[in-house]
Amino acid sequence: MDYARFVRLRRPVWEAFEAQLAATRRGLRGAGYGTLEDMALRYRQVLHDYALAAARFPGTTAARRLQSLALEGTRRLTGEGRRGAAGGLQTFFRRTFPSAFQRQLGLLGIAVALFFFSAFWGLTVAVLRPALGVTFLGPEAVRGLEEGRLWTESLVTTVPPSFSSSRIATNNISVALSAWTGGVLAGLVPLYVVLLNGLMLGAIVGVTLHYSMAGDLLVFVSAHGFLELTLILVSAAAGLSIGRALVAADDLPRALAVREAALGSLAVLLGCVPWFVILALVEVFVSPSPEVPAGVKLTLGLALEGAFLALALRPVPLEAMP
Amino acid sequence: MSEIRRESILGLDNIRLDLPVAGLGSRSLAAFVDYLGLAVAFFAWILGALFLGAVVGSQWTPVLVVAGLFLLDWGYFALQEIATGGRTLGKRLLKLRVVTAEGGTPGAGPLLIRNLVRSLDFFFGPLLMAVDPLSRRLGDRLAGTLVVHERERETAPVLGRVPTGWGARELAVVESFLARARTLGDAALAREMAERILERIRRDAPELLAGLDLAADPVAALRQALQAEEG
Repeated sequence: MDYARFVRLRRPVWEAFEAQLAATRRGLRGAGYGTLEDMALRYRQVLHDYALAAARFPGTTAARRLQSLALEGTRRLTGEGRRGAAGGLQTFFRRTFPSAFQRQLGLLGIAVALFFFSAFWGLTVAVLRPALGVTFLGPEAVRGLEEGRLWTESLVTTVPPSFSSSRIATNNISVALSAWTGGVLAGLVPLYVVLLNGLMLGAIVGVTLHYSMAGDLLVFVSAHGFLELTLILVSAAAGLSIGRALVAADDLPRALAVREAALGSLAVLLGCVPWFVILALVEVFVSPSPEVPAGVKLTLGLALEGAFLALALRPVPLEAMP
Repeated sequence: MSEIRRESILGLDNIRLDLPVAGLGSRSLAAFVDYLGLAVAFFAWILGALFLGAVVGSQWTPVLVVAGLFLLDWGYFALQEIATGGRTLGKRLLKLRVVTAEGGTPGAGPLLIRNLVRSLDFFFGPLLMAVDPLSRRLGDRLAGTLVVHERERETAPVLGRVPTGWGARELAVVESFLARARTLGDAALAREMAERILERIRRDAPELLAGLDLAADPVAALRQALQAEEG
């Protein structure tokens, strides 16, 4: 077939496809089934025309035009595109998040074990050498303990509670995000986050035991502590899953294994974000308040933990599982 | 102008498509524009929070500042790309777009992933992009995405008649000449080139020149002879 005849015969198809791409520029959501079917057919015709033009008439206007049409068609008609926000959120919390969470339970178990190991180590060090408490808490906080008050009082006395809660929420989310993104460095950053948090908690409990303030500390953390630690460990486990895919990709190509791990663990991370915001409010408005009885704080803490676990461990329909 | 790097992907029916991959230079420039935009957004948000704080109560000002800056810090790139199907302000200005490794539109998940690891890419990104034929930074590798150049629709003339025996090379040269003839600064040069092409047509297919006035305007005569239409 000569060039002029090729262009004359096929041009109507290209123009029709261009018109359809222009008409659906804002997305394919509003397009009817007939339009989509028609576009898919024309896309295929354009691809085949491009293959012919690239082989027989390379460098010509028709070949370049077909190339840009083929690329535009590929971008618009393939890939994941956008989904509705409301329906997407419901599906996310009902299926995607629990399914992703349950897939990484093994890694979460490892993170929990490492956390308690380092917490025990921190506790032992702080009990045997209370002077090290200054290293962990700083001189100001230790001075407060000597005077019989916890450093946590400053959460609401030095700055407005609303400011504290927003700082706590953003800080916790940043830690979770860093633990997750750091997974790409062979899991070293999430490992560091788990071990450091365990060590700090153990050491702080040890120091407060020394000053007979451990009871006050446990009352303070009872409303938010369980879930906060759970969320940090869950985020770290999400980061570890990326590290594991990088180091031991099994029978998948490494790039694909890491990509799948990142996508799966992102769902876990995103599922934790709303809980961090709730926790920040609890940590500022409930935890330091002397008017809220210890029993209420503990009940609230257990209820929050229970609610999170109930959502994360809810049975997932088979079709949502990989 | 340097050539754009192209990488082939296999599309539907195993048809090879060449993706015009954006390199380190254009992507860095787009990132520079984006970070300027982010700085402006930070500044504007702080001013806006001060104003809003004065309206709703000054105790809320720090909350608005902290929460807003946090959202901008982590969401500026990702939310723009999700909302526009793979473009940020900088990418829009430099005509770049994020696509999947197969050339499709990425979903919200991959776009979030590639932007959440941006802080690590400050250290590793440029090196990875420099050594990778697809110029992928860490985020792209994690998300399975690429950044490509977007091209305007081709509007150069297409030949409606072609002398027998002409190959793709001749066709491309003539189409390219006709596309640029009007914008050539040297009219005499354009005329001379058109006359040479007409001479070649006279040799290969003289019937195409029948009835045409070749002396008055050779470029117009060439267009008529080959029935060149805008693409």
